[in-house]
Amino acid sequence: MKSEILYPGAFPMVRVYLADGETVKAESGAMVAASPTIDIESKMEGGFLGALSRKMLSGEKFFFQTLRASRGAGEVLLAPTVPGEIVVMDLDGVNEYMVQKDGFLAGAEGVKIESKMQSLTRGLLGGEGFFILKISGTGQLMLNSFGAIHKIELKPNEEYIVDNSHLVAWTSTTTYNIEKASSGWIASLTSGEGLVCRFRGPGVVYIQSRNPGSFGNWIRQFIPVSE
Amino acid sequence: MSSIPNALCFGDGLPAAGAPCHVVLSADGLRLIPLEGSQLVEESVAYSALSVAAGGLDHDQLVLSWTTGASARTLYLKDPALIVAFRRTAPPELTASLERAAEHVRRARHSHRLVWGSAVGIVLGLGLLLWFGSDLIVEWAVARIPIEWEQKLGEAVYQDALSKETVLKEGSAVGAVQEMTQRLTDKIPHNPYKFQVSVVQSPVVNAFALPGGYVVVYTGLMKKAESGEEVAGVLSHELNHVLQRHGLERMVKMLGLAAVASIVLGDQQGLIGLAKELGLNLVTLKFGREQETEADVTGIRLLSDARIAPDGMIGFFERLSEKDKARVELFSTHPMSAARAERLKAELAALPKRSPEPFSFDWKNVQESLAKSEPNK
Repeated sequence: MKSEILYPGAFPMVRVYLADGETVKAESGAMVAASPTIDIESKMEGGFLGALSRKMLSGEKFFFQTLRASRGAGEVLLAPTVPGEIVVMDLDGVNEYMVQKDGFLAGAEGVKIESKMQSLTRGLLGGEGFFILKISGTGQLMLNSFGAIHKIELKPNEEYIVDNSHLVAWTSTTTYNIEKASSGWIASLTSGEGLVCRFRGPGVVYIQSRNPGSFGNWIRQFIPVSE
Repeated sequence: MSSIPNALCFGDGLPAAGAPCHVVLSADGLRLIPLEGSQLVEESVAYSALSVAAGGLDHDQLVLSWTTGASARTLYLKDPALIVAFRRTAPPELTASLERAAEHVRRARHSHRLVWGSAVGIVLGLGLLLWFGSDLIVEWAVARIPIEWEQKLGEAVYQDALSKETVLKEGSAVGAVQEMTQRLTDKIPHNPYKFQVSVVQSPVVNAFALPGGYVVVYTGLMKKAESGEEVAGVLSHELNHVLQRHGLERMVKMLGLAAVASIVLGDQQGLIGLAKELGLNLVTLKFGREQETEADVTGIRLLSDARIAPDGMIGFFERLSEKDKARVELFSTHPMSAARAERLKAELAALPKRSPEPFSFDWKNVQESLAKSEPNK
């Protein structure tokens, strides 16, 4: 499986080349176009219960779609729902990524996706909910963001502070604590940065340059109220 | 040589996400084998050069660090089998820090479980409290309602209910009811209520009590009664609904949390408004079985204290329920059952025997006056 990002920027697409018999799993609804040799199967990753728990718990889509080059090699075009960048990374079998629920776009056959329960404080305050996706295995993984995607590289014990709603993915070698943005509660609330995550390396944290929640609030004022 | 990676190595010149590598354990140290094309150089590290800790997002990874020349290296082991193997082959001088790391992991898992367990416990506990403890919450809320509010609430409903009825102002029936009420209320210790009893001209066989001490007796009920003691029995039962604040309890239960909130906030107008807004009809408010039993038992004691023959109450209830079950309004809110009669009889038997004192009125005269005042029947 090979991939290429088309139209990098706000409205990208991924072109995935599949050899005969190869598959790629994608977020349901992500397929834009495909060669006639490609079959689309809807598959519940991790079985029915796994899919159900993913749906109920992390809010991720119930089904992933599996695109299989069953009648010869071909290509698939995939795109996320929201405007924003796509990043492709290679999983080597040891690295493990925690991905917030809307961040997954597609992955090779060897990519394993599980729902993972967070600790209560992280779940309550972290802004990603109680359940996130734990993605491991081997092969290419494609994540998407809202806005541009930015990679923060952390050396061992190096720290970085991230507004929790801008999180996309982070490696499991990092740790993070949730804390108030300012020393006082009032200042935390009035600064518009109520809670932040303090990450500690080693590892990589991917963040998105726009906050979907804030964007939603901003756009709401322009939506006419229906009678 | 390239193998399946089982660890991630961090350090200067290595990728931030870690360089995947293969770790082989031996008796005197570990050997780091880089994957093909990696910036990592194959090296052997003696156990004595290593420092050990727990790390990673869930503190479940083993972190080994050492220095190679001028640069520091950190190795993350995640594979449980590899971690176990490392603990087995590591020399005794590392055991202490390994134990510390393991303890760290155990503590992290334990607190994780503890926090989730207590969160689930609190939610379950609250659910159970609401399910089984709602009566306690209602009682707690009702105990906080001042008598004045109750009276205001009752008065509003009372005026409303009587505005559509013919209220008897004088006559022997009114006098008789007032005498009964007087004798009963005289025997109530620490009575916070000023009871008001009205006689309403109506063929309906009924009597009801409103919060705050407002009691209504219908002439229909008085005509059916064979003695003053029977009416006094009903009256005593109704007075006890008021004394036990049953009406308020039902109301708070039906209005729910909104009522509790307005009680806690001291918003009496809100409470009265809420009751009216929801069209809660206090007149036809049904009491629960426990409340009926409570009013029965306390009612019969009050009769005994007031030296009014208490068996009138039981006899009247039984007779009415047999004859006109369908037509007697009283039983739509006060269903009579054999069990209830038994309970009353048992209670009566347990009371000290007191010689009853008759009323000053003649019941036959009262009933005749009622017949005269109602030309339609």
